[in-house]
Amino acid sequence: MDLAVDTLLALALVVLAGQSLVGGALFRAIVMFMVFGLTLALAWARLGSPDLAMAEAAIGAGVTGALLLVAHWRLQRLRGTPAPEAAPAASRARARLAAAVALLSAALVAALGLAAVQAVGPGGIAGQALAEALPATGLGNPITGVLVVFRNLDTVLEVAVLLAAYVASRAVLGDADAALPPAQDAPLADALVAVVAPLTVVVGLYLLKAGGQSPGGAFQGGAVLAACGVLLVLSGRLRAAPAGATLRLALVAGTVAFGAVGLGMLALGHPLLALPGTWAVYLIETAMLVSIAVTLALLFAGSAGLAGGRR
Amino acid sequence: MSALEWLAAALMAGGAFFYLAGTVGLLRFPDAPTRLHALTKADNVGLLLICAALALLAGSLRQALLLLLIWLLALLAATVSAHLIARHAIGDRDAAGDREA
Repeated sequence: MDLAVDTLLALALVVLAGQSLVGGALFRAIVMFMVFGLTLALAWARLGSPDLAMAEAAIGAGVTGALLLVAHWRLQRLRGTPAPEAAPAASRARARLAAAVALLSAALVAALGLAAVQAVGPGGIAGQALAEALPATGLGNPITGVLVVFRNLDTVLEVAVLLAAYVASRAVLGDADAALPPAQDAPLADALVAVVAPLTVVVGLYLLKAGGQSPGGAFQGGAVLAACGVLLVLSGRLRAAPAGATLRLALVAGTVAFGAVGLGMLALGHPLLALPGTWAVYLIETAMLVSIAVTLALLFAGSAGLAGGRR
Repeated sequence: MSALEWLAAALMAGGAFFYLAGTVGLLRFPDAPTRLHALTKADNVGLLLICAALALLAGSLRQALLLLLIWLLALLAATVSAHLIARHAIGDRDAAGDREA
């Protein structure tokens, strides 16, 4: 029975991926990509990784889907005409080249998959070392332990990359604020925001707090808060505005906090990024949560800052 | 399987049937408002039956209440998004008529 569900899931993933690449209209491809993200979250859950499932659903399907949809809307406005309903027919030579590359890629993936299935691992050395070292950090969630304590160089660079992406988007947009879809003037939408926005904030903050001991963490919580920001922007309660000092601080908070703690430890004579205690983990995670939420919401709005809207 | 598990299985089968009915409606109905009608009505009842089945199998009252909350939130989201999609599909012409009335 499990095999049937897993096979169905794998087939669905392949079909959805194909649909989002080959499908005609751009809007349809975006929707297929969002559904693909959700199905991938299901696959992660089936593999027993709730952290990855939550991150995939929140970031991959949720926030990325919103970014793609708003980019599609802006693209349509720029072009002035509705997006073409079907992609123009590719030449036969290009189609044959695409088929050849697809076959080679499939063969490579199949070969790697077969090798991975047959390989015998060295016996989970890293997992054992992690299980032994985790209680000393005061954390109960091994994923948070790896992200913030044991392999935190990768995480601090990830947060810096997010900041760099935001700076790049501001450089591309320049002084012009990207347009936003007109706020939905529907009483039902207002009621939805009034009920859902506070719940979303609670869930986002809970994911941060719970990330230390159980599935959760700064990335998942930050993505959920960014989704709340997207909701407020779409309903008109937040509007594009020039950058303010608070938002600028929020944008750099994650990188600065992580870098300051890491370099501070180096200055005190400890190894780089060796955290002094569990309080440092929670401080860094909170700063990362704020940065991720603000960055993703500002990337969606396409503006330098956000201010209160018509309310 | 105990009687509770039989009941949960029956509820889940009912929920799956409602989802199937909603999807058939989505595929077969002619235009957006009728499709939305079939989808939201059938999917919400289907989700209720599946959540009820899972609540019966849940380990504690807390999990059952969380499943009820999940159903209520899904209901809220489906309702509002169906309303917004229908407005867009019918066109702003009718919405403007409602505002003037």
